[in-house]
Amino acid sequence: MNRPTRRLAAAVLIGFALLGLMTTWVQVVAADTYRLDPRNARFNLTQIGKERGLIVSADSVVLAQSDPDPATTGSFIRSYPTGPVFANVVGYSSLLFGEQGLERAYSDDLRSRRDLTISDLLSVILGRDLRPLNLQLTLTDSLQRIAFEALGGQAGSVVALDPTTGAILAMVSTPSYDPNLLVGVDAAAHWQTLLADPGRPLADRATRELYPPGSTFKTVVSAAAFETGLANPESTFPDEASFQLPGSTATVDNAGGTNCSNGVTTSLLNAFVRSCNATFARLAIAVGAEPIGQVAEGLGFNQELPFTWTVAESAFLTDELSADLAALGQSGIGERDVRATPLQMALVAGAVANQGVVMSPYLVGRTFDADGAEVDTSELAIFGTAFTPETAALLTQMMERVVTEGTGRQAAVPGVRVAGKTGTATGVEGRPHAWFIGFAPVEAPTIAVAVFVEAGGSAGESASGGAVAAPIASQVISGWLNR
Amino acid sequence: MTRTAESGMLVAAAGVAAFGVTLVILAGGQTIDSRIGLTFAVMVAAFGTVHMAIRRWAPSASTVILPPAALLTAISLAEIHRLDPVRAGLQQWWLLIAAGMTVALLFFLHRRGTATIRRYRYLYLLTGLILLLLPLLPSTGPLPVRGLEVNGSRLWLVVDLGITEIRFQPGEIVKLLMVLFLAGYLAERQSALAERPRQLGPFKFPEPRQLFPVVAVWAVSLVVLVVQRDLGASALLFGAFIGMIYAATGRPTYLLIGAVLTASAGYGAYRLFDHVERRFLAWIQPFQNFEDAGYQVAQAWFGMGTGSLAGSGIGLGRPDLIPNAATDFIYAAVAEELGFAGSLAILAGFALLIGVGFGIALRCRDRFRKLTAAGLTWVLGLQAFLIIGGVLRLVPLTGITLPFMSYGGSSLVGNFLLLGLLARISHEEPA
Repeated sequence: MNRPTRRLAAAVLIGFALLGLMTTWVQVVAADTYRLDPRNARFNLTQIGKERGLIVSADSVVLAQSDPDPATTGSFIRSYPTGPVFANVVGYSSLLFGEQGLERAYSDDLRSRRDLTISDLLSVILGRDLRPLNLQLTLTDSLQRIAFEALGGQAGSVVALDPTTGAILAMVSTPSYDPNLLVGVDAAAHWQTLLADPGRPLADRATRELYPPGSTFKTVVSAAAFETGLANPESTFPDEASFQLPGSTATVDNAGGTNCSNGVTTSLLNAFVRSCNATFARLAIAVGAEPIGQVAEGLGFNQELPFTWTVAESAFLTDELSADLAALGQSGIGERDVRATPLQMALVAGAVANQGVVMSPYLVGRTFDADGAEVDTSELAIFGTAFTPETAALLTQMMERVVTEGTGRQAAVPGVRVAGKTGTATGVEGRPHAWFIGFAPVEAPTIAVAVFVEAGGSAGESASGGAVAAPIASQVISGWLNR
Repeated sequence: MTRTAESGMLVAAAGVAAFGVTLVILAGGQTIDSRIGLTFAVMVAAFGTVHMAIRRWAPSASTVILPPAALLTAISLAEIHRLDPVRAGLQQWWLLIAAGMTVALLFFLHRRGTATIRRYRYLYLLTGLILLLLPLLPSTGPLPVRGLEVNGSRLWLVVDLGITEIRFQPGEIVKLLMVLFLAGYLAERQSALAERPRQLGPFKFPEPRQLFPVVAVWAVSLVVLVVQRDLGASALLFGAFIGMIYAATGRPTYLLIGAVLTASAGYGAYRLFDHVERRFLAWIQPFQNFEDAGYQVAQAWFGMGTGSLAGSGIGLGRPDLIPNAATDFIYAAVAEELGFAGSLAILAGFALLIGVGFGIALRCRDRFRKLTAAGLTWVLGLQAFLIIGGVLRLVPLTGITLPFMSYGGSSLVGNFLLLGLLARISHEEPA
């Protein structure tokens, strides 16, 4: 009867071998998965007071730094010298509230490697640098400040990017908050105040909030019309103050309820320059949901944009609109089933400026180590091609006329050819959202911009894209070109 | 290994415990005090007296039984000290009591040996059953002995001594009594159980009346499961039984029957009891149920992962984030602070002890002693596997103690007596 006893012994020892294997998995192979799990407080507790890397703007202004703690030797306190101006981009690294923005997305680069784990000790032996890495952004402090101040305390967002590279030059979201409050004493009280604030200062309006883009979406409808060959800027349409939607009692009316031209016919160019809603409702139905959806998706709608963090997905509901012509008419003026982030609309302007090619947007230009040596540079990536250079040229032609003689005249910058499109979209309780998207200089664009002012800003019910958003775009463009 | 070498290793283990307590005190920023010397003294006293008792009353016993147990106890004393100094103090008292009882056992057996044990096998069955049912006594009332329910399981006995009360888990003693009963019973009936005169389809069976105790012990396990709602003790008792009957008969059919019965009882418990369903969730998806059922297991894994290869160092990790770290999750607490190295030390310690135990069983010529040694070792191994496997998610989590390591007096007493029996058997059947 020794045989069954031997087998029992073997069974127990095999069991212990399995325990050993499982322990190897948890503590060696997959240890980092569990060590770095955001719910594992142990890791964060070890990061208290650790040095983190610098975050600096493209023009070398410090946006985030770790200062030696005067109370505890060897300990550091994180600070954000630019306060609310870069809050939505830089974010915060807080013991109580975790990480946000670039502090979160680049946490692994920014943290010190001095963790006293075995792999760190090995790194020391191998002579690796344990000091945190630093980030240099593509955003410039000067342009970010101009945009922040141009919004002048109104709720909204400005996104400016280089259309040929996708580098973000400025990205503002207001109202903002001071990230310094979330790392210091009384952080919990400040956090509660921010959460309770009806202006929602913690919301990133540039990338994580969706709004109807209004008439700025007419650029997308026009692009689809040109791509399908259905129309060109000279094509004529019946001139009407109001368009009766098919299969519905609703109408789409021009702003102010007036005709667009002489009351008989209007060219597409004229309708675009004066932003006539009736014409675009008719055009959208004529083009159809499919071609518009195709151009929209080429620009980044209906998908997760490649970005530093997860952004809200802008939407054009192609399938639903294929079956509902009345809704398609309303969506042709950027209402109903169309939603977009300011970042997305900046990409639309950028695509027109860059001959139809959309560049993937990015925030970090390079990472460098404590000695200033470059570790990594961002590689440019093409997101896709939304339309042909011919279509881009026609759109540019129309958009320039918007600024020279149409609804976007206040976006003009003396001595510079600016192209753009205004938008006035359904907002909050009769106070419309004001939009402007554009780029400059027309002959060789270096900046594309989207301006969004929530619920009319200080103009309230009388707000329009041309009166509220276009002047901000003008300041941002001239600030960039005269830097 | 000589006796003297053994004593040296026991002193070394006492040194490990004292060194661990020193590190805990220093990591906590406290000044060195008498606790270090006290820990050393208690370890030397406990294992030293058992060692002396073996020298005197069981001189031919294996020398490899005490050292691994002493190492496991030493690591656990330091870790319990780190988690809860008050409990560490109580655990040291229990260690002395357990050692005292083991010395008493060795003395009791020294004249006529384990043969006396065999004689009273049905008394063990009866005592075991009574002990199992004792926690069902009313939890309030005039009786000095009361039952107590903790975490949904009713497996505690409270003995009121007037000045203080002692909490005890009878299940830890029952497991020994069951092994002794089964060894006695099976040594006698082995051939009857191995024969299979009955046939049903392709399966052959022993006479039904021979199977009666099989069903009886399964029923007892079920009672433990249903009435006391204690998954761990139930699985351990039944596992012990199936293992021993297999060792006695060599018929794999019993393993199959055992597996089927275990699975059906487990499924029934899953359907019937909320806390079993919670444990199942904690087993399958601890990270998806982090907020409630999976919290304990997830925290244990976070701790073990953070500990990684070398651990945080004792006193420098956060095993206090794991609920019940000092009892059910002591393995995870040690793994976090002493790292992979510490985990492997524990596993190696148990593997050594189990190897020695089975080695003794294989050497035995007497059937009763062979079955007792195999049964005791099997129970020890199964218990350690079930709770460590529960922490590591190899098996569902059952709330049983890790022998020599979990905080708890009954467990310490039960497992010390187990060592004493093994030592005595190895003395009676020297290599």
